[in-house]
Order: sequence, then C-alpha cells, then structure tokens
Amino acid sequence: MTTVRTMHMAELVRAVRTFAASFRLQCLMMRRSPGDLAVLVTAPFFSLMFLSMTEQADRSALAPYAVAAPVLIAVWSMSLFVAGDLISKERGNGTLEGLVATPASLSVMVLGRICAAVTLSVFAFVETWLVAWLCFGVVVRLPHPLALLATLATTLLAMAGTATMMAAVFVLARSARIFQNTLSYPVYLLAGVLVPVSFLPGWLRPFTRVVFLSWCAGLLRDSLARPDIPDLPGRLTAVLVLGAAGFGAGRLLMRRVLWRVRVLGTLGQA
Amino acid sequence: MTAVEAVALRRTYDLGRGRGGGQREVVALHALDFRVDEGTVHGLLGPNGAGKTTLCKILATVLLPTSGGVRVFGNDVVSRTRQVRQSVGVVFGGERGLYSRLTARQNLHYWCALYGLPRRALLARTEMLLARVGLSERSDEKVDGFSRGMKQRLHLARGLVGDPRLLLLDEPTTGMDPVAARDFRLLVAELRAEGRTILLTTHDMAEAEAVCDRVTLIDGGRALATEHPRALGALVSRNERIEFDSPTADALPGLPALPGVVAVTTLSPGRYRVETTATEATKAVIGLLLDRGATSLTTTRPGLEEVYLKLIGNRGMEVGR
Repeated sequence: MTTVRTMHMAELVRAVRTFAASFRLQCLMMRRSPGDLAVLVTAPFFSLMFLSMTEQADRSALAPYAVAAPVLIAVWSMSLFVAGDLISKERGNGTLEGLVATPASLSVMVLGRICAAVTLSVFAFVETWLVAWLCFGVVVRLPHPLALLATLATTLLAMAGTATMMAAVFVLARSARIFQNTLSYPVYLLAGVLVPVSFLPGWLRPFTRVVFLSWCAGLLRDSLARPDIPDLPGRLTAVLVLGAAGFGAGRLLMRRVLWRVRVLGTLGQA
Repeated sequence: MTAVEAVALRRTYDLGRGRGGGQREVVALHALDFRVDEGTVHGLLGPNGAGKTTLCKILATVLLPTSGGVRVFGNDVVSRTRQVRQSVGVVFGGERGLYSRLTARQNLHYWCALYGLPRRALLARTEMLLARVGLSERSDEKVDGFSRGMKQRLHLARGLVGDPRLLLLDEPTTGMDPVAARDFRLLVAELRAEGRTILLTTHDMAEAEAVCDRVTLIDGGRALATEHPRALGALVSRNERIEFDSPTADALPGLPALPGVVAVTTLSPGRYRVETTATEATKAVIGLLLDRGATSLTTTRPGLEEVYLKLIGNRGMEVGR
C-alpha cells in the first residue's frame, strides 16, 4: 500500500515538473514569436466595437458586458489557436516523436503549454478596461475583486483542460485550422459571450449549461456589474467540474489517439 | 543480460486501397529476430528502406509492432511502455527535433524536465551534457544558428538527458565534420565504458568497424547476418589477402602456380591482390614478392564495406521496399 502511495506521489511530482517546464517553454516560445500573441492585438478592437454600440445606445450600464466579451473571446481564441498549432508545430519541428518517447505525459505537457498561453491572454482584460476608460471615459468598477480573480483563475484552468481535449483531436487530424475557424462563433453564441444566454431561444439554453464558458461569462459579468453574485461557489465549482471533465476526456482521448497513431505510424508525419 | 530482444518482429504500413480496390501495404520488418547484449555497441547496417529506422522507432515506443514481440531489458515495448521509455534515450537523425528558437541550454532544460529531474539535478545534468558534446561555449545561442554538426551534437546530448541504459542512435554522425565524427566515436566508447548499451544505425562502414562490438546487416526487413565486424569478413571470403605494388608487373610471373594461391587480381594499374588459403602460403607469397621488389605490401581480410556490398548488393540509387 505504501509502495503504491509512493509511486503515485512520484507520478504526481513528475507531472508537476512536466507541467511547470511546459508552462515555461511556452512562455519562452511566445516571447520569441510575438505573432502568437495576436489576440492581444485584436481584443482592444473588439472592445472598441462593443463599447461603441453600448454608448451609442446610451446603455452605459452594459459597459461591463462590453469589457468582458473581448476577454472571453481572447481566452477562447488563444486556447483554440495554441491547441491547434501546438501539435502541428511539434510535428513540423520533428519534436513530437521525441516528446512521446519520454516518460512524461503528453496531456500534461499540452496542459502546461496551453495554461501559459491562456494566462497571457488575460492581459486582454487590462487592455479592454483601458480602452473603456481612455476612449469612452467609462470606468468599469471592480466591486468584487476576489470573485473576479477567482473567476479568471477558474476560467483559465477550465479553458486549458478543455483545450487539451481539442489538442488530442489534432494529433489525429491535421486540419486544425478548419476546426479552429469553425468552432469560434458557435461557442461564442452558446457561451453567451456576445449575447447573454437568457436572450437565446429557449430550446438552445440547455446546451449552454454544458459549455463551461457560459458559466464563466455569467460570473465575469456579475463580478463586474452586480451588487451581489448569486451562488458564487456553486458556479465556480461548475466551471471547474466542466473544465476537469474536459481535461479528463482529453487525457483519455489523447491516450487512444496516441495508440492509434502508433499503430498507423503517422505520429511524426507533418 | 539481454538489452534488446526481438522475436519474429513484423511491422507493416498500410498504403490504402490500390486501383483494384485491394488493400496495399509495405512490409518494413519481416519476422525479424534480433538481439543486443547489454553493455555493447551494436551496429545496424542496411540500405535506405531496410527497416533500420522502423526498428529504432519501435524500440523508442513511438511505433507499435504489427506482430511479434520486442523487449527492452525484459520490458515489453507494448505493455510496459513507461518502463521502456525510462531506460531508453533516442537520437533520431536529421536536423529536426529541437526547438530552434530556443538556446541549446533551454532545449536541454526542457528535455531534462520531461524525465522528471528536480531543478538542481536538471541544471547539473544540462551543464555536464553541454560540456560532454563540446557545446558549453555556444550554449546560450539559439539553435537555428547552429551548423548541422552542432545540431547533431545537441541531439546526442538530448538523447542522454534521461541517463539511459540503452541509447538509440539513428545515423548520428550525419553532417558532422571528420573531427566531430572522431570525437563522436570517442564519446560512444566512453558511453560503452559506462556500461550503456548502444544501438547505432549507420551507412558509414568505417564508423561501424571502429565502434561496434557486433554488427547486424539488415535488408528488406530481415537480418542477413550478425557478427563482430571483422568476423563478418568470413562470410565473403575465408582467404587471406596480400595486396602489393609492382609497377612493371615483374612480381607476377608464376604467382598463380604457387601452392595455396587461389587468385591473383589487378586492383588498379600496378596494384595487385593475391588470395591464399592458408598462412603458410601467405608467407611464401610475401617472401617471393619481396625478392622480386614488390612494394607497399599489406595483408588484409574483406572489410565491412565489401561484406555489405556482397550480401546486400550494389543497388545504386534504388530504395528498398
């Protein structure tokens, strides 16, 4: 029993080291490749567009919504972009086979790298907040800073977990770009990023409950705009559970997909 | 102990359906039986498409066998993948396989971390490996500015990050200059002295003769022969050979008639080879040649290159299937 526990502990330590090293690697890679941070360039423009609409309609109370939306778009776009490109770049670089040949888990490597990317994407929040203040003179207040931080942190974790599942698909399929382009707007819609889910047709709403980003969007808006946040712990838990489910499914899928490509002999084929 | 043991190992690649609708496949390994003893340097020689890289990939666990079994230090590569990965280091050939936008040191830090090394050990291992492959002074330069030979050295260091018991080297000296290739051979000897097992695939006969304890010739996914590089010569000829220069051919008359002489051949203008069946005959031939003023006398046996060409054949640019 003790031996089994020691083995599990050793595995955990190894996974943490792999995660930390992969997080650091991604930061180094993105520093050397500024193009990977394109979402931070587009986020202020989204913010400008949404704030123009709310200000034009004389609905300043919706400013927090216009600030939150580009942040969620940036986080989702970044994770989708990194998850899609990560595997194909490793393939093209000839490193994918070497990574798989190490004792480390590819899922944990991917998780660490996507976490790094989505963490950087949170700077979009600072950008959009500044756009609201500098361009429209709207100061979006932060009435629940701790709730906001908790929301952003759980969003990042859930996002990275879900993106791991997408990365697993990209090991098998090599058309990541089509997948990336196709998946963006349906998710924005189902997550209530552009339009709150309460505005969507009734039959569509049940689907939004299984999209973790819909919980994040609600929490983010509430933490910026409402005097109180109903059921904060429960909603944060929902985000984490859905993110963990995504990561669990990603791990399982990654294992199966890796087995499949080892059978086919296509692991290293760019 | 046996480091690697493959029994009836078969690997095929599916090529999809042909024009007639039938499934097409190419056989890369054809019921291969193969064994590498622990602590030895084992060479794998064969033409392009012989199955060398496929075998390396199966041992590295990035490819599954279609049938048959392979064990690395007793661990099955299919069912005990993690144990195999912990004991194997891989150096695939070519320039790819490194993060070219990062420095050599950053590359090794990452690969070390994937083997679970704690921070202090990771730093020490990285410095040791950089020194070992002669890249310490260039360790903070980005890899995309490295020459091909320097990349190969870094590949080698990367293969050693996990302190492997078995090191798979898939054409590791490709692109290295002669000095670097010589240093590489010395490094292989050091690694062997440390008790590591090395499986080396190469086209370079001189390299194989210089560093390998045993060599397997492979073609069409089948092992043709496994022997010590020098013993392989016996597969081509058991005769002893005397090569010499005689610009005016004065040394030649009567040679073929001597007891034990089986052949006299012209290698190039003024250069000849005599083959004998026994050492006594060789002595007699050498004595006669010296009396007749022959120069540059050497006694030889068939080299690995000759064995390779004899067993595998000279197929020019053709790639095996």
